[in-house]
Amino acid sequence: MNVMSDPRRVFDPELRAALAVVGGVFPPTITPELIPFMRQSYASAPRADLLSGREIEIVDLLIPGPDGGIDASIISPTHASGPCGAVYLLHSGGMMFGDRFSGIDDALDWVEDLGVRVLTIEYRLAPEHPHPAPFNDCYAGLVWMADHADDLGIRPDRIVVGGASAGGGLAAAVTLAARDRNGPRIRGQLLDYPMLDDRPTPSTAIFDGIGVWDRVSNETGWAALLRSIRPVPTYAAPARSDDLGGLPPAFIDVGAAEIFRDEAVDYARGIWAAGGEAELHVWPGAFHACDIFAPHAGISRRMIAARRAWLRRMLVD
Amino acid sequence: MQELLGRLKALDPAASQSLRVIACFDELIVGDVGVHGLLSAAAALAGRPVCLARGTVVTRVDSHGGSMEPVGAPIHAHPVMDDVEVWIENPADETAELDAIILERLALALLIRLDTKRTSAVPPRDMTLLLERGSSATDRRDAAARLGLATNARYRIVVAPLFATWTRHPRGPEDVVATPFGPVHAAVVDIDAAPAASPVGIGSIAQVEEMDRSFRTAMIALRLHDGSSSETSRADDLGGLAEMLADLPDDRHDDGDQMAVEIIASHRWGAITIDALVRSGSVREAARIAHVHHSTMTDRVEIITDTLGFDPMSGIGRTRMNLAFLRWRLRTSRVLELVPTRNA
Repeated sequence: MNVMSDPRRVFDPELRAALAVVGGVFPPTITPELIPFMRQSYASAPRADLLSGREIEIVDLLIPGPDGGIDASIISPTHASGPCGAVYLLHSGGMMFGDRFSGIDDALDWVEDLGVRVLTIEYRLAPEHPHPAPFNDCYAGLVWMADHADDLGIRPDRIVVGGASAGGGLAAAVTLAARDRNGPRIRGQLLDYPMLDDRPTPSTAIFDGIGVWDRVSNETGWAALLRSIRPVPTYAAPARSDDLGGLPPAFIDVGAAEIFRDEAVDYARGIWAAGGEAELHVWPGAFHACDIFAPHAGISRRMIAARRAWLRRMLVD
Repeated sequence: MQELLGRLKALDPAASQSLRVIACFDELIVGDVGVHGLLSAAAALAGRPVCLARGTVVTRVDSHGGSMEPVGAPIHAHPVMDDVEVWIENPADETAELDAIILERLALALLIRLDTKRTSAVPPRDMTLLLERGSSATDRRDAAARLGLATNARYRIVVAPLFATWTRHPRGPEDVVATPFGPVHAAVVDIDAAPAASPVGIGSIAQVEEMDRSFRTAMIALRLHDGSSSETSRADDLGGLAEMLADLPDDRHDDGDQMAVEIIASHRWGAITIDALVRSGSVREAARIAHVHHSTMTDRVEIITDTLGFDPMSGIGRTRMNLAFLRWRLRTSRVLELVPTRNA
């Protein structure tokens, strides 16, 4: 067999090695039939494992949502004193799976190392709850967080809205809405390989059937979220916004070897065109969410460090 | 990754953790990854810090790939080469088995990386020599002998994804082998052996000198496995077709018939209808297999005929559709990507 024809050659060698271990847990191609499997496979680790050896504490909350209460958790440094900066975190999982602790290891490090708090919420998931349910939950959570900043020990002028993948798309949407509705003041938007555009881009076509989250998975996610809503609303697919002006500073990171590459780059370009601030990192050889699946790999570490430095600047300095 | 290995074990207690470790280091070696990357991967797999001592200089890396303050070497460290050794911290009885494999593969990868005096490349492993198409008959016989096989006997190759669930594990030499679809688990078994796993592909019978043929047909069988059933997919059931499919230069390449099948398969009823037609002698029988009314099947056959541009129920048309359907199934196979569902 000709190993050179392996389409995985686009990935960084350390990440390719990690794929041999990850294989089968997060298949590249997710179709609607796989949603139940993914809900099991991508569920977060038990709470005790997340907390193990860390100087953090987690308090569970029930916050009011547009259609009933939303489960949420505020994660704080064990020895927090006085108000501190905070990240409003929206979890990953293609709009269809994951929970508020999925892929959260990096954010737990922010709490421990940067001394910030993290509020993470259990927004409703598609396909049972299509747009605007997930978005509405996320926006309601932000408003609640800002309104209760004092009680939560958070500086209201130091709230970053952030998320990865689907959570990145939701973070971008919540940031647009906060601007449009004169909502809470947002210090910055952290968009990790965000899911922004329901329309195909050149990179959607290139990375088909390999890595994590391919074209078909993306179509599955968007179909679940949008059903037949037309025209596609901006708060569902922020890339469709024709006004990216007046937004807080953005940090956008994305893999060079993933389908979201072009929409992430385009979003940064749109922000620049509107006179805004965006720090864009396109990581060579990186597949989608490589920092979650292979945090030890060199590229993942650089990605995590760049993000950390930006957060420090936004929330701590 | 250690967490992932643990999660894999939770999803599938019989998961071959050691094969994944071997596959991981195979990729690191092929990718020419540096010392820090090798130590990081080992630490991530072990979930504990890993150290490398070069003389008195110790490099210590945690499971997130971060550098740590060095510590002294333990009494038992794993040798790499003169004056160079590695170890995993905090060994325990329950980690001993996996630790040993991680250290062995790490040491090999480091040797390749560090031994600048070494002039020859590291030879491929015997299983790769046995199964690679380019190997000579002599190489294959020598590799077979080293693997403990009788060089005048006939065997079959069995292949499975690294995450396959084995209900009857193969008895015989086994290893990880690189393919264009990623690393697979390959084993040599007796011709009447009945290993069982979901999913698994069993290759045709071959002499040791032609073991690569059995491997290629096993890969075809595996990729035609439906991924969920516990049934074994056998190259024997395809006869000469398995070999022919295996020898097609690139099954990702579209031809007209295959493109037509792709269009048909985009209908909700498409793939099951072609499958029913392939396995039946008449439209009536196909309707029964697919559990639809005869008139429904007649309507579908009409659409299929229009899309293909020929009659799939007669003469060469049947062969063309069958072949295009097999190639479409190979091209869209996800058996190497997806853990089979538990209840299957």
